[in-house]
Amino acid sequence: MLHACAAYAVDANVLEYSAELNLSEDDYIGEVPKVLTVSRLAQSKEDSPSAVTVIDRETIRASGIVDIPELFRLVPGFYVGKNAGYIYNSNHVVSYHGMASAYAGAMQVLINGRSVYSPLYGGVQWSELPITVDDIDRIEITRGPNAASYGANSFLGVISIITKDAKDSTGSSVRLTHGTGRNEAFYRNVGEFADVKYRVSASYREDDGLDGRNDFKRTNILNFQADKRIDASNEINLELGITNGDRADGEAARDFVLFVPRMRDISTDYELIRWRHNVSEDSDFSLQAYHSANRTDDDFTSVNLRANARRFTLERELRRGASLATAQTRAAVFAASLRDDQISIDNDIEMHRYDIEAQHTFVPATNWRVVWGGNIRLDTTYSPHWLGTGETDYFNLQRLFGHAEWRINDHFLVNAGSMLEHNDFTGTDVSPRASLNFKLTPNHALRFGVSSATRTPNYIEEKFNDAIRIPTINPATSYLFKQYADTGKLEPERIVSREIGYLGQVGNLNIDARIFDDDIHNIIKSQDVILTPTASIRPLRNASNFINSGDAQVHGFEAQVKYRLFKTTQIIANYAHVNINGDKARLPNGFTTSMPKNTFSALITHQFDGNWDASYAYYQTGSVEALGDGQPVALNRRHDVRVARKFNLNRVNAEFSVSVENLLDEDYHEFALYNTLGRRALVNLNLNF
Amino acid sequence: MNSFSDKNRFLKVLAQLVLIFGLSAIKFAYAYTGVTILMASQTPANTEFVDNFRVDLANSKNNGLRVNVVVMQESDKFAVAENSELVIALGVKALEAASMLKHTTPVLGVFTPLPVFNQILAKSKRELGNFSAIVLDQPYWRQLALIKAVLPETKKVGVLLGSASSQYLEVLRDEADELGLTLMDENVSNEADLITKLKKLLDSTEAMLAIPDRSIYSRETAESILLTSYRHQKPMFGYSQSYVKAGALASVYSSTKQLAKQAAEIAIKSQAASNQLPSPQIPKYFSVAVNQQVAHSLNIAITDEDAIYKKMLVFETRETIENEEKKH
Repeated sequence: MLHACAAYAVDANVLEYSAELNLSEDDYIGEVPKVLTVSRLAQSKEDSPSAVTVIDRETIRASGIVDIPELFRLVPGFYVGKNAGYIYNSNHVVSYHGMASAYAGAMQVLINGRSVYSPLYGGVQWSELPITVDDIDRIEITRGPNAASYGANSFLGVISIITKDAKDSTGSSVRLTHGTGRNEAFYRNVGEFADVKYRVSASYREDDGLDGRNDFKRTNILNFQADKRIDASNEINLELGITNGDRADGEAARDFVLFVPRMRDISTDYELIRWRHNVSEDSDFSLQAYHSANRTDDDFTSVNLRANARRFTLERELRRGASLATAQTRAAVFAASLRDDQISIDNDIEMHRYDIEAQHTFVPATNWRVVWGGNIRLDTTYSPHWLGTGETDYFNLQRLFGHAEWRINDHFLVNAGSMLEHNDFTGTDVSPRASLNFKLTPNHALRFGVSSATRTPNYIEEKFNDAIRIPTINPATSYLFKQYADTGKLEPERIVSREIGYLGQVGNLNIDARIFDDDIHNIIKSQDVILTPTASIRPLRNASNFINSGDAQVHGFEAQVKYRLFKTTQIIANYAHVNINGDKARLPNGFTTSMPKNTFSALITHQFDGNWDASYAYYQTGSVEALGDGQPVALNRRHDVRVARKFNLNRVNAEFSVSVENLLDEDYHEFALYNTLGRRALVNLNLNF
Repeated sequence: MNSFSDKNRFLKVLAQLVLIFGLSAIKFAYAYTGVTILMASQTPANTEFVDNFRVDLANSKNNGLRVNVVVMQESDKFAVAENSELVIALGVKALEAASMLKHTTPVLGVFTPLPVFNQILAKSKRELGNFSAIVLDQPYWRQLALIKAVLPETKKVGVLLGSASSQYLEVLRDEADELGLTLMDENVSNEADLITKLKKLLDSTEAMLAIPDRSIYSRETAESILLTSYRHQKPMFGYSQSYVKAGALASVYSSTKQLAKQAAEIAIKSQAASNQLPSPQIPKYFSVAVNQQVAHSLNIAITDEDAIYKKMLVFETRETIENEEKKH
């Protein structure tokens, strides 16, 4: 039986072939460099040891969201509060399953494998990240602890942001956004120069923040990535980023003690180099080194102390039941005791992180996959005001990690891993993890997992020791204004999380659900420290320090459902029910209320035709009282809409969109009562050429 | 699927053309006594071919064919006993050189892409009767059948076509139709548009099929194409084993051993009449290559390559309803 060449053989005599055709056997049987090497291939959701939510490009576009932290409203179990804190920084709070505070530090955040977790406050300075939403390819959110893969502070969850690749596409792109209190311009160019694929983006944005808040932000960002393939098995990636800008800070109405409303300069930069080496068919090695710096220029003169002292004393005395005359006298005496109207405060902050990480991924045997590696890090912190010293503080960390995946058969898969970490604050800790994934069919999978992680205390908890001396008219005596008197030596907080997860696909319906039961131990709590007056130093207030105190249990249920209807409509819905229990007396204030009991969000996208599309988002957040500066805020509902139109102008692909946040303009509060969110509209023009 | 009885029009055209060539073929046939394997250099694949070819000949008891290996690099002028030997040219360079031999010398190209064979055939003005090939190209229906076998639920398959491959769109579309697949295509005329066009297809299809075209699939573009497809979590079906190693999900391919076996069969069968080489053939024997790591990462359950191969044989028998016999 002979096989005929299909019809195209005949074309030979009919068609003229152009000289450029030039195929050879090499195109068929020649070697092609291995692209999806063992380390590039991620575990599928069904094989993953934890619940993972992916926010992709399309979801980002459809949501109309322009600030990265806002995206996490679309992940089950997350709480997001806009511009949370009111002093020293006004930043988004992004937390998962509680522990929400202005400096929510219970989650690890990585950009292309680089940790942007701040050791000073804990948490992430979201507005200072050297990327914008336009730079993001996708965000992978691990819901639950995952120290074995991402290191310490991968406590309640991990956010891993992956930016668009220099290899992705070529050309330029521009975005212009104008709206309520917001202006933004973004430019990107992707190309190739001398065999180096590069991607450069620059952006400018200014945001007026919330009504009645002093939270204006102006930000310039420059980001550069380059990929150079040395040969079939070696590649070098380079990344550079700079952010600088101005941050309005200080709220006269709420913090009248020292900090004057002011504008401070911020600047961050980072440089990263990565070497990827394909050792063999089934083995990859990578070595990554980076440095990042965060600086705040914040050397300023305080508020008028005399005026504030008078007001402050008067209010205090009246509260204590003194007569008006007595209160006035005491206020006058106190005000008169100050030598100066103002003092100067040096709140400059400079932090550096130096980090080297090596990682080896290999397949030791069929159905096995192992990743292991090590990491050394040095964080330096200079913060004369908060640390109470002009000396730079050094924080060292070393880490070893390993993770193995064993595919027993088509139905069962085991993941096990552990991290061993040593750091200057808490010594040596081990964080193991194990899970069993059971695939009933390729479309229905169950996961049983136990995972542990630690949270290293941040500088606020471990090393803050501010002391402002306010001279009095008596040269031998000064007042002491001190907020923190940390004694350090804290143990890390520890979480053990148990979960049962389900991933299902029925037709166009995708379900990701899990129930979880977490124990958190050694929770760090602040306590009052009464400072003893001496002849020369008279404290004006109590300070606080931190101790390891209570335990808490967090349990509940959460799910994400994705449904595609007629290819034109997609629905994503998220729901979480979270309960936090524990002995309130031994927990920080608000610990058990730091996560709304119920949160729900949904995003519906509809494609009308090739050019028009619209989306609607709904966010419902139950009542919550966050830690620290947080105040009880009531349940809120928010409706967002977005309409977009694509069109072509010569060779330019353009999209014009209008989005409105909080369409019904129902004022509501987030994080605290001083944060009132109203309606906001944005128009957006996107050009690709 | 009754459409199989209504073979596509291209096969009809092929049948007619083969008839024309058949008529114009030289009437006098020489029997050949030996086989010269011509190669540009001693690559591992070429050496493997020779070894396997020799074994296959030895295994078939009823022939006394000598096997002579000529490496072009070794001498500018290579000696071939023209007319009396079958020349098996390994690779494009060797085939080009062989095409310049006396027109009565039977030449069989191996390791040759189909478009290149056609090019050389046209340029050398040789005739199909004694100038033929086992091409490297796997037929589209076989590649599409692989997609069907691996992902039975798939409805839409995307292809990127370039200047060289765009002419095959109709064939591809017809063959996809017969398998109940909808083919979505994008024409890449400018290399800068490659990834943009690919993304467009990835957004609207469930799987991609790579069609050989140097302006699209090359060593240089493999990284971008495979990474982009992977980021979209869509499987890429390749046309070669190396593309599967690089990161495509699966591919049909013919090993050197399989090609050698087919070549040996032709050598034996046409030994008696050197001017009656069969018309150019697609690889008769093939294997399935699957990148299990990619499959796991995309959560695609592929039990094993053999099972896929067996599933595909159903399509094979449907598709090869003795085409050749119809024509002869």
